[in-house]
Amino acid sequence: MSHAEHHISSIKMLSIVFGGLVFLTVATVLTAQLDLGGLNVPLAMAIAVTKASLVVVIFMALKWDNKVNAVIFGIGLLFVAVFISFTLLDTLFRGDLSNTTEGTIQDQTLEEEALKSREPDAAALEFNQIPQ
Amino acid sequence: MANAHSDHPAHLQHHFVSSEQQFDAAKMGMWLFLVTEILLFSGMFVAYIVYRTWHPEVFAHSAELLDPFMGGLNTIVLLASSFTVALGIHYAQKDNKKGLVINLILTFLFALTFLVVKYFEYTAKFEHGVFPGAAFDPHGVSHGVDYALYNIPYARQFFSIYFVMTGIHGFHVLVGMGLFTWITIRALKGEFSSAYYTPVENCGLYWHLVDIIWIFLFPLLYLI
Repeated sequence: MSHAEHHISSIKMLSIVFGGLVFLTVATVLTAQLDLGGLNVPLAMAIAVTKASLVVVIFMALKWDNKVNAVIFGIGLLFVAVFISFTLLDTLFRGDLSNTTEGTIQDQTLEEEALKSREPDAAALEFNQIPQ
Repeated sequence: MANAHSDHPAHLQHHFVSSEQQFDAAKMGMWLFLVTEILLFSGMFVAYIVYRTWHPEVFAHSAELLDPFMGGLNTIVLLASSFTVALGIHYAQKDNKKGLVINLILTFLFALTFLVVKYFEYTAKFEHGVFPGAAFDPHGVSHGVDYALYNIPYARQFFSIYFVMTGIHGFHVLVGMGLFTWITIRALKGEFSSAYYTPVENCGLYWHLVDIIWIFLFPLLYLI
């Protein structure tokens, strides 16, 4: 049996990565105080993904690990992506799809409420009072 | 076959060909377990994403009630614990028992620090009626913050998600403390060396995942 040597991460590299992670944490706290409009959320997520990647690749040593573990991890992430995107396909577009009439369900509900709260039509009231 | 027992290391189990194969199998099993953990948390992340897309302004407003200093401190504490556990594995691979034990104890202490900070955060919220679920009733003023201003529709959803996600994450930290106690005792007994450190490696992987979950929880709950 050939004995494959395990990768040993140097203390220097681990320290640099730890320093980078602390720096990114400070950066995400500081940038969150700024008002970047719609960019605050994507920036915070980009920093979080960068930090998580550093932990996975260096601290968990996936870079030097057996490739099958990277495949397992990748498939896990793929299913998370499917989970999030397919759920949002429902929750983001509720009432927008599969309608037989114009407008969203919200629009139709508003229209229905407006019709109900309307003053009754005098001609219609008179019509209803006509004995059969 | 008769003398098979005499020429293999004590840690090698009979159904494995070599230490290397045993190590790889254990590690692959750990990665599979980590994927189930990721999927467990992804259910809660999906809940967060759905409710946030429905009420983004409520989530942004409610997040102001959480202290980014405490959350940031805990982020640094967990990153440090990930660093020490990686150092511990480095020392185990170099047959340095002292380095391994010191780093395992440091990891345990960082985990404890994390939970102590979390305890103070939770109690500060409970004092002002910020509870998960039906008991949610923010009131009172502290440090210039009027809690009643946070008693708005759908804020309850944010805080329920906050308590459930950080609670389940905190439980994982607690489990990690138990694991590191067990690993430290075994390390003190001299059970680990460069030839066999599988439990250290796998507990390290678990601990890094707990760190990664927090890396996402911190900005989502405290910052944005």
